[in-house]
Amino acid sequence: MIELERVSKRYGDVVAVDDLSLRVADGELLVLLGGSGCGKTTTLKMVNRLIEPSGGRIAIGGRDTSGVPGPELRRRIGYCFQQVGLFPHLSVADNVGVTPQLLGWDAARVRARVDELLELVDLPPDRYRDRVPAALSGGQQQRVGLARALAANPEVLLMDEPFGALDPLTRDLLQERFQEIRHRLGITTLFVTHDVAEALRLGDRIAVLDVGRLVQLGTPRELLLAPASEAVARLMDTPRRQAEQLEALLRAPAAEAD
Amino acid sequence: MKELWARFPEYLSAHLELSLAALAIAAAVAVPLGVWLGRRPRAAPALLALAGALQTIPSLALLAFMVPALAALGLVTSRLFGFEVRAIGYGPALAALTLYGVLPILQNTVAGLRGVDPACREAARGVGMTPRQQLWRVEIPLALPVMVAGLRTAAVWVVGTATLSTPVGAASLGNYIFSGLQTRNYAAVSLGCVSAAGLAFVLDRAIGLVERGVRERRRALTATAAGLLVALGVTAALANVRSAEAARPIVIGAKTFTEQYILSDLLADFLERDAGLPTRPLQSLGSTVLFDALRSGEVDVYVDYTGTLWANVLKGRGAPGTRAALLDEVRRRLQAEQGVTVAAALGFENTYALAMRADRARSLGIATLSDLAAHAPELEIGADYEFLARPEWQALVGTYGFAFRRASSMDPSLMYQAVADGQVDVISAFSTDGRLAALGLTALRDDRGVIPPYDAVVLVGPRLARERPDVVRKLGGLEGRIDAETMRELNRDVDQEGRTPAEVARAWLDTLR
Repeated sequence: MIELERVSKRYGDVVAVDDLSLRVADGELLVLLGGSGCGKTTTLKMVNRLIEPSGGRIAIGGRDTSGVPGPELRRRIGYCFQQVGLFPHLSVADNVGVTPQLLGWDAARVRARVDELLELVDLPPDRYRDRVPAALSGGQQQRVGLARALAANPEVLLMDEPFGALDPLTRDLLQERFQEIRHRLGITTLFVTHDVAEALRLGDRIAVLDVGRLVQLGTPRELLLAPASEAVARLMDTPRRQAEQLEALLRAPAAEAD
Repeated sequence: MKELWARFPEYLSAHLELSLAALAIAAAVAVPLGVWLGRRPRAAPALLALAGALQTIPSLALLAFMVPALAALGLVTSRLFGFEVRAIGYGPALAALTLYGVLPILQNTVAGLRGVDPACREAARGVGMTPRQQLWRVEIPLALPVMVAGLRTAAVWVVGTATLSTPVGAASLGNYIFSGLQTRNYAAVSLGCVSAAGLAFVLDRAIGLVERGVRERRRALTATAAGLLVALGVTAALANVRSAEAARPIVIGAKTFTEQYILSDLLADFLERDAGLPTRPLQSLGSTVLFDALRSGEVDVYVDYTGTLWANVLKGRGAPGTRAALLDEVRRRLQAEQGVTVAAALGFENTYALAMRADRARSLGIATLSDLAAHAPELEIGADYEFLARPEWQALVGTYGFAFRRASSMDPSLMYQAVADGQVDVISAFSTDGRLAALGLTALRDDRGVIPPYDAVVLVGPRLARERPDVVRKLGGLEGRIDAETMRELNRDVDQEGRTPAEVARAWLDTLR
């Protein structure tokens, strides 16, 4: 469980996140949805204290995070982001095993856990364990990134547009695979995206943010049926508009295609 | 050639040890500083600019500056902590070379750390690394190739610049270059240049191989290359320790011109063969560096000239008087004020003289310096590095009112040829230089007696004079043995006939026996 209570972040006079309160229930995936500059990434990074909040309180599993040293806190939290940030000088196995190593697990346990996770993300350990990141495709790198985030059995998982840089087919495949893994592990997840379709597909609930404030919080169905404002309505309507454009193309006279 | 190679192991190991020590210290300073700067982007430009400014100081000047700087430091440490800092030799060379090595390592450390992909930094924090772990596990490994490139640049610079440590009294392959240039021994110059370049190449490659081994995780390669570097360092250090442990030889100094090389080899040969005393040469030192080294005991014996000592050391003013009177005064005052003993006056003078091509002087009707002053505005003078800054030149200008069209400093080895070829009209020559006669030059008469006498005298430092009065007596045997004509011939044998100073010195000593 992740709790945010009246959390804010200010940079001088600029307010990035303004008095935000949220609760992600155990096993739930909550999406932070909004355009760029809405404060969704800042909010996410305040949870593992890559960014220190200016005010408010954040708790994980009921324990206030501010009392724990940052590195120690982050070893308990899986973190996955768009650029992945695999360490190019380390093998796939060493990348996945980095947090368990930092936690002082013995080598055999780290190795067993690495193999388990590579299996989980569909990268056969025998083939992938000793490769370097540069030898992997974008989708494979993101799979390794996910395995690294999950390696130390984190209490919660933070994901910042993890599939944003992938081609549509790979993205579709990974979204589906991730959904299966998440349900199997039952891990509590905070997920940042600006892609409405992705939010609708993955989110148990969606929090729509705008200039650092919470605009609406609800299930995908609630947001679609009862948007709190014109802006939310337009935002949630984008997948439907895109689908309609697609249909229009398909109904167009066949002569043009010849 | 055989004689050249005899000193090769000594010069090579000294050069290597000096370079490796400077590199090691430079890296030990620059890497932590670079890491610190990498985290403080605002402080970085100022410090990098400072390091860059140090780099623009000509290397020879930086090396020379270290001598008074260390001497001043030595004053402080001896007063506060009771130990001396040696102001010539290894110390100043190491200090200057270290400063030179810092910049490329510092720049590349900062650049390498800045070049680390921000995504990798974020991931390193995100997986729970402490700042120290981020640095050692991610940032330094990723910056390493760039940092090593800086170390390799520094290695090449330091090995190259180390050849310039000869004038501050640190032995290096530069000894071949400095003495070779002065005595026109181009085999020695080439040997010095080629072996320094070879050494730079080997160091650069060895460091590169260590880095490649680390990057490609090839333990055998890393170990071999690192082993090679360590072996080089240990060999150099051992060679130098061994030479330091040998019975302390008498150190014989020389300034940077042919006559000095001949006389220092002559004194060495004389003491070794006739008195069985081990000696060690310390050649190509600057004039004032050499006297300071004699006083402090780092040099035991060398030849200087009364006029120079009177003007530069004893700060004499006014007319110095006759040759004999000046010799007496210098002898007395050096002993009383500096504790330096004049063991012998060799019997010849090597005065400064303004010289021209004989035919040119005749056609212009110039025989004396007064005649020269009348023609000076049409003429160009070339002088060695020191001359135009020396009190003798001030005195000449003051008395004769010289106003040359142009005055330029040049290397003494090039000066004589330059006036013979007509590139300059007048030069500041040494009266004993063999090239005067060989190139058809004539020394103009100092008709108003401005230039003081320059009797060549063998000086002995305070420590040797105290511990070995027999050596002082032995050197006294050279009193009056070399006249000006003899010295000119010896100089000519080296400058024109291409013989080495040691050969010429030995041949002359053989005539004495």
